[in-house]
Amino acid sequence: MKTLKLLLCLWALWGAGSVAGQNRPVSGEVTENGYPLAGASVSVKGANAAVVTDAEGRYSISVPEGATLVFAFVGLKTEEVPVGAQAVINVSLWPDVTQLDDVIVVAYGTAQKSTFTGSAGVLTKEKVKDVPAVSFQTALSGRIAGLDVSSRSGQAGAAPEIRIRGTGSMNASNEPLYVVDGVPVSSGSAGQVSGILYANINNIMGTLNPADIESVTVLKDAAAAALYGSRAANGVVLIQTRRGQAGKPRIDFKASFGFTPSFATDNWEAASDAENLEMYYEMFYNSVITDTAPGADRSPAAASAAALAQLNKRFNKHGYTFSAPDNTYKSFTVGGQRAGTSFDWEKELLRTAVYQSYDLSVSGATAGTNYYTSLSWTKDQGRSVLNDYGRLSARLNLSQKVGKVFELASNVSVAKSTSTGFNDSRYMDGNPFMQTRNMLWGLYWPTDPVTGEDWTVRYGSYAYNMVYYNDEWDNGSNTLRVSAIEALTAHILPGLDLKTVLSYDNAHTAEWLYYSPNHHAGARVNGSIDNYSTNVNKMVSSTTANFNRAFGKHSVLLLAGFEVEKNLTDYQRASGTDLPTTALKSVATAGKKDATGYSWGQNMASILSKADYNYDNTYYLSGSYRRDGSSKLGKDTQWGDFWSVAGSWRVQEAILRHLPGFSNLRLRASYGVNGTLPTANYGHLALVSYTKKYMSNPGGTLASIPNPELSWETSYTANLALEFGVLGNRLRGTVEYFNRNSENLLQDVPISGVTGLSTTLSNIGVINNRGVEIELHGDIYNAHGFVWSAGLTAAFAKSKITELYGGQDIIWNEPVDARARYIYREGESPLSFYGLEWAGVDSGTGKNVWFLNNDKQADLTVDGKAATYDYSQASEIIIGKVDPKVFGGIYTTFSWKGLALDMNFNYKLGGHTYDAPGRDVTDDGYYWERIRSKDEYDNRWTPENPNAKYPMMNATDMEDVNQKSSRHLHSGSFIRLKNLLVSYTLPKHIAGKIGATGVRVYFSGSNLLTAAAYGVYDPEVGADGSKGWEMPLGKTYTFGLELSF
Amino acid sequence: MKKTLLIISSLILLSGASCDDFLALEPTESAAAETAINTAADAGVAINGVMASMASSYYYGRDFFLYGDVKGGDVTIVSQGRGRDVLYSFNHSATSNAFGSFWSQIYYCLLQVNNLLENISRLEGEGKGSDELDNYKGQALTLRALMYFDLARLYGKPYTENGGASLGVPMPLAVLDVYAKETRKTVAENYTQILKDLKDGEALLPEKVSQGYIDYYANKAIQARVYLFMGNTTAALAAAEEIISDNEYALYENNKWVDSWSSEFGSESIFELGIYENEADLGTSSLGYYYMRLRKISGADGNFVASTGYISLLAEDPDDVRHGIMDYDETSNSRMGACNKYTGNDLKGDKGSPSAVNIKIIRLSEIYLIAAEAALPTDRDTAAYYLNQIRKRAPNLGKVTASEVSLDLILAEKSKEFYSEGLRFFDMMRLGRTVYFDDSLLWPAVIPHRSGSVDRSFYKAILPIPQAELDANPAIVSQQNAGYN
Repeated sequence: MKTLKLLLCLWALWGAGSVAGQNRPVSGEVTENGYPLAGASVSVKGANAAVVTDAEGRYSISVPEGATLVFAFVGLKTEEVPVGAQAVINVSLWPDVTQLDDVIVVAYGTAQKSTFTGSAGVLTKEKVKDVPAVSFQTALSGRIAGLDVSSRSGQAGAAPEIRIRGTGSMNASNEPLYVVDGVPVSSGSAGQVSGILYANINNIMGTLNPADIESVTVLKDAAAAALYGSRAANGVVLIQTRRGQAGKPRIDFKASFGFTPSFATDNWEAASDAENLEMYYEMFYNSVITDTAPGADRSPAAASAAALAQLNKRFNKHGYTFSAPDNTYKSFTVGGQRAGTSFDWEKELLRTAVYQSYDLSVSGATAGTNYYTSLSWTKDQGRSVLNDYGRLSARLNLSQKVGKVFELASNVSVAKSTSTGFNDSRYMDGNPFMQTRNMLWGLYWPTDPVTGEDWTVRYGSYAYNMVYYNDEWDNGSNTLRVSAIEALTAHILPGLDLKTVLSYDNAHTAEWLYYSPNHHAGARVNGSIDNYSTNVNKMVSSTTANFNRAFGKHSVLLLAGFEVEKNLTDYQRASGTDLPTTALKSVATAGKKDATGYSWGQNMASILSKADYNYDNTYYLSGSYRRDGSSKLGKDTQWGDFWSVAGSWRVQEAILRHLPGFSNLRLRASYGVNGTLPTANYGHLALVSYTKKYMSNPGGTLASIPNPELSWETSYTANLALEFGVLGNRLRGTVEYFNRNSENLLQDVPISGVTGLSTTLSNIGVINNRGVEIELHGDIYNAHGFVWSAGLTAAFAKSKITELYGGQDIIWNEPVDARARYIYREGESPLSFYGLEWAGVDSGTGKNVWFLNNDKQADLTVDGKAATYDYSQASEIIIGKVDPKVFGGIYTTFSWKGLALDMNFNYKLGGHTYDAPGRDVTDDGYYWERIRSKDEYDNRWTPENPNAKYPMMNATDMEDVNQKSSRHLHSGSFIRLKNLLVSYTLPKHIAGKIGATGVRVYFSGSNLLTAAAYGVYDPEVGADGSKGWEMPLGKTYTFGLELSF
Repeated sequence: MKKTLLIISSLILLSGASCDDFLALEPTESAAAETAINTAADAGVAINGVMASMASSYYYGRDFFLYGDVKGGDVTIVSQGRGRDVLYSFNHSATSNAFGSFWSQIYYCLLQVNNLLENISRLEGEGKGSDELDNYKGQALTLRALMYFDLARLYGKPYTENGGASLGVPMPLAVLDVYAKETRKTVAENYTQILKDLKDGEALLPEKVSQGYIDYYANKAIQARVYLFMGNTTAALAAAEEIISDNEYALYENNKWVDSWSSEFGSESIFELGIYENEADLGTSSLGYYYMRLRKISGADGNFVASTGYISLLAEDPDDVRHGIMDYDETSNSRMGACNKYTGNDLKGDKGSPSAVNIKIIRLSEIYLIAAEAALPTDRDTAAYYLNQIRKRAPNLGKVTASEVSLDLILAEKSKEFYSEGLRFFDMMRLGRTVYFDDSLLWPAVIPHRSGSVDRSFYKAILPIPQAELDANPAIVSQQNAGYN
């Protein structure tokens, strides 16, 4: 050993001496982002001459002929510059966003990104923290190829839906598994009111403060996720919360303030009152002149009289009268005491929403202790005047080394969130968005024109005076989430660790729904109050042994362990009616009371193991195996085996040299099996339920016929990827192919109703998802203080059902209110829209025309295809599908000195959205009392506009618009500037003057620009592609300030 | 080191100790089916489950009565789109407005009944039979008969049209395998089984009144109805007269008639379904709200009003007590088209609520009119006698004599007495009569799915087999009712 050292020294001396004669000085400045960089190392490649830059970033070094200088600094990308003939070399170093040797969080541990054999996408805290959203999920949009973030609702506190690599299940969940600090956590919606008012607001993940997040890792393929076994088929989202950094205590404070004055796009903009009156007149007028009854009076006089009668009937009581002396709309005049005025409901019910958020954290680390603690308060408003969200959260992450062996870590968080006034439904009259677009005429007033008293009777179907009734009802939800994760690690031997983790996660949601005796929904029972309490408990215990050791060029990582998980939800409801006073909203005061309470749960026990091997940091092999037992399945099927194998090859320098331009090349491949459990906890049991009472006695009914063979859904995923870097890794990226076969899919198989049931849950069916995902990042420009980089993600995926029970189609409706219809059919996408094929409008008569798609007698042909005027003669077909051809994001970062501009776009090309509100706002005459859209007004058939998009309005045309048809199907393509961030970081010496180590101010804009193929409504939609009356997304402008001490 | 091992091994013990139990969880609000019916009391709980299922809005709770009335000519609508008006417009096809909920709900009820009967057989086999169990068995058999009778009338042509030769409904008598694909029996086969179940049930039921449940008299009353629908007047008369002569029930006095709609289990109630708050209470979707005047109270949508023909019929005698339950409707304050049978005139129903109101499925008055109709071909005196017992509710009209009594008079009386009680349309179809609709309140008066009158030759006089059944049960596709395919 000593000899070796000596030899090396001698060699170095000889080397230095041999070139000493030709050495010459080189000097320059090293900068980062336009600022001088002190402490950067400057060395001669292949020699051990090295210097460090001074406080002004300057250096001077003596170099031999033909040398290459290496500039390096922690956290920045190392730069190599051939000296050539230069005497001055100024270098600007890149921020290294995705360093190849970044450590990322993976299943049950960490890994270097460059050696990880699975498919994972990582988002660091910088990308999460500035998006003004209450849930981190929003920040994932467009960032990771193959990860689709669908924002269904713009209500305060609403959470987006996440799909990783498409739809893999019909009946079970398609949501990924969320793992926080190594522990699987409850996700999705807690609580009950959200079901009643159809609002996705009780998102448990929303209780996690985005400012506490260090990184988010998305595991996409089986190699990455199989260690999570039966819950990993939809991918896994790993969240690591923050830790302290070595050094003195660091205090971070952040305040942001935002406002949302408008929606991001048009959303079924209503026609003006005058236009709506014209359409109203026209539809009744038309119904008379087209009356086919023998002997009917079809004269303009009769038609006009009928139309005016309807108008007068509806609006006289509101202070308007109508006349049309020449029996056409040309002479249409509005009179009455309120003539010339109207009530602005939108102004009354929608507002500029305000967002505020304050975060304070203290963190640091010493030799034995690491801590991070935070306190955060967020208040978010929806655009509906009723809709508020608030969150207060606190966290303490602490780890302490005890002696040389033990390390104890404790992550504890408490969060309380409150939502009130949510409503996204079509059928409840408290949805202000739907009311202003479809229900409330400007001619309706909140007061009686004669008496001036509150108008309390119904205006028209589902339209009430919300100014009055908003004070007569109330709903809300409080969620308190407490989570404690205790981990004990023992470093038993060098390379051998034992780790045991105990966690308790509790989310208690208390909700209420109140209608006063004055409210129309509460009047029948003299006021009602419902209190719901849902208490979700999750306990996880896992113990793993981890062995990590290098032997020469071989290195090995072995992991084995077990895990048990217990889930229990307690539910209670207390309801009261016949309330004594409008001042009190408690069940205690109610004259009549009703209650229920029960619990449900599921348990799981698992063993898990994995092995990684690498040779010379060039060849990698890994395998994993997990066995899960679940209480959701019967004895014979409850244990399942899940595994994966993967390998990768980093192309050696020696080979790379022959590939001009390439600086990095790696191939990886994996294959594995994951699973998905049924949604139902007790699906394998035949149960008698006692939910039906009869004459105050309990009644029992057989609720299901059992399926003891019920088992997991199993998905088999193959993944093949090429990672590359060219031009000194200035352009780098990944191209990835995946093929996921989801088998034994659970399906509610329709069965003959003669059995007494309509469906039975069975493991039948196969869905295939496959595609190519691309991630590209380019460091485009870095000189004179300007730094510009950009990147893009794209996923081209195909989703197809390859097998169904007996090859039989399954037609299903959107589950909440059947607003869209779909079909499962072999060879087609699992999200295929099913309905009648609309052939547009007959230019001669203004009637709806439908393609027959069957052998029945045609009324006419359109584009050479048989068509009919009678929709009931036509047959339903697949009219489109949700899946886009490609979706992803584009981002760009531009910085100059302390100033930075970030833009993040998300896009979808191809695929359809189903416009369920279209039946309401472009109605042909079925809904007499509703207002219609500007789109309908501009595009309806009239004798002057015969080539119209929409048919002639006719008050007797009852049903066409209500059919599930391609009339309501539109292109889903769009690109959106999801987030724009302008920030300025004060130079350190200026920040220092106020005693701060960092000062940053920023402006963030959400949804500022949207280009959509169909512009009538916001193209962002929930995962099922159906648009409803959810509150649309807004344009949010946020201003923030960050201080660090 | 030792500590670590200690902690880890105790964790292993804690979590691994009872793995089998840990992975075998049962719900807290449901019970395993195989152990649910083990005693007569359990059978009683199952009967309650059947009764509660029958009270569903898709069956006796609402739709089945609406079907019988709204299509029968005594009822009309003021505006389309207020709910359930497609029954009136006959806008039915296999794919839309098929009212497939009748099919699914009644077969669901039949699953409960068949499951109960199988369990009772098992208990009998285990020597656990008892009088109490016999009673529940009698109830179950009678209910099965009633359900198949209702299904056969919804989906099959009337027995009287061709002696039951046309297709009726599939008729499982046991719990089916989930993938079973049954085909339709003939109407005659259906009626044979219906009568068998009724006779078997009759033998098991004690001759005493049981309110809110099937008892001996309810069984007899259903027999009277079934025989009448089969045209077997002798048997119908015998069944009806047994009920009348046993005197367990009494016709309402004229001065009590209106009040009878404000109390449960009146003296006429032979079979009445209990609708209680927080049970099958349909709230604003209840029959009471559907027949109430538009906006009489919040949530009243004015779904149905009496036709002008019905109003004139009742107006034959301005003092007819049955005016007392009618109310003016939205069209004017003199047109008595709204009906408060299900809410009482005080809107307090029979228990203080306008919607949690019992549904009187069979009343003694109907038994009198069945007796009148059944006696008519052979004994006009008796026919006139039974008719006059009901006719006297219109005190100024006077009695009809044996020579005057006619089917028209009996049917008119049935109309007057049973408005909104689900009988009219079925009687008209059974007798091959034509129903005339009063579309005059509608504007625009366009009902494209039927003409102004309908008789049993119209294909929509019976419902289509719903598309969902055709999709899941290919064996039945060729048996779709004519006109719907």
